[in-house]
Amino acid sequence: MDSCSLACIRSRLSKQSKKHATGVWINVQAMASHAITSDTHSVTQQSPATPLDDMASIVATYEQRIFRFHLISIRDRDVAQSLTQDTFVRAWGARDTFRGDCSILTWLMRIALNLIRDHTRTDRFRFWKRVSETAVDVSDIASHVPHRDSSLESRLIASEQMTLVWESVAQLSDRQRSIFLLRFLEELELSEIASVTGLPISTVKTHLYRALATIRARHNATHKDPL
Amino acid sequence: MTLHLSHEQLCDLILADLSLQPEGRSWNDPNDLKAESNIVQEHLRACLVCSAELRSLRDSLSHFHDASVSYARQEFAQSYAQRSSIAPPHTFLSQPLYWAAAAVVFVAALFPLSMHRQRPVSPAASTVASAVLRPTESDEALLADIDQKVSADVPSPMEPLADPTAGATSTTSTSDQRTN
Repeated sequence: MDSCSLACIRSRLSKQSKKHATGVWINVQAMASHAITSDTHSVTQQSPATPLDDMASIVATYEQRIFRFHLISIRDRDVAQSLTQDTFVRAWGARDTFRGDCSILTWLMRIALNLIRDHTRTDRFRFWKRVSETAVDVSDIASHVPHRDSSLESRLIASEQMTLVWESVAQLSDRQRSIFLLRFLEELELSEIASVTGLPISTVKTHLYRALATIRARHNATHKDPL
Repeated sequence: MTLHLSHEQLCDLILADLSLQPEGRSWNDPNDLKAESNIVQEHLRACLVCSAELRSLRDSLSHFHDASVSYARQEFAQSYAQRSSIAPPHTFLSQPLYWAAAAVVFVAALFPLSMHRQRPVSPAASTVASAVLRPTESDEALLADIDQKVSADVPSPMEPLADPTAGATSTTSTSDQRTN
């Protein structure tokens, strides 16, 4: 093995991960596979292999799902790409701490949720959320409502229902929104959500009740007063 | 007064996870859970308001899920294509500004190269040309001179000498005329 050890690769990954604003996307998969290739001997000799050592396959398996969670949570394409990249960079850096007491997806979701929380806390995020050109608009996503029925009326109703939920989710608190998306977008079980968020299941359920209460109130108001 | 499903009961139906215990209630006996589920199902069959609201909420959440998944899949495919391609996208290529910038860069790259070629080449070329032309011209002149000398009827050493008094005679005659 050459002198470029695992620490060297980690520092490279961490340096590259800081290129948020420029929108530069690093092929994490290629870098991870390169790191794995060059460090095969050190990994096998110094520490026992973990499921996260094969980062290339993990990226290939979970990248789209992590990106989806970031995209719908942050509602900004570029930020979602950057945070997805950071999720796997962090996972690579902290793979030694993965004990296997939860699934890889749950572990990755936990990292993703922490990144979202860190990102949304900043004032810079609030500013760029207002002016960003890559922000997802509800009209963008409304066109993706599947049309099981060909009638125009059913299409409009479906689009309206989706828009209602989309706008209601924006009104939720950060924690309620995260838990709501983990349940109704990622379709995780409540026990998995509890593992991701570090909250008791009863608390997770309470947040879901409140999130659904917001959506239900908006839903009922729209149906009672369609205009 | 008409009793409808509580918010928690409706949420439990949406969450489709009746094994979880609602807050403030204990389900020590699985039969109680089953009995509660049966009551809820019977109510849904009887109450059009609750069943309609449940169906509408489920549809809304389902549309939200499907649209979000579809949109995220499309965005992911686009970002993946951008990352895979080194060349800029076609829309970017079609921009006149891009082509103008490319032309400027190309000319700027060629300019110092042409300057570099012209400066050192001109003295060197003249030197080489003069070095090549000089022997050629001298050789030709020498050959022409030899040809002329060989082809001459009378060799130059044998040619009659010019009359040195020719000029003096004319001067004398002129002076004689003046005298006369």
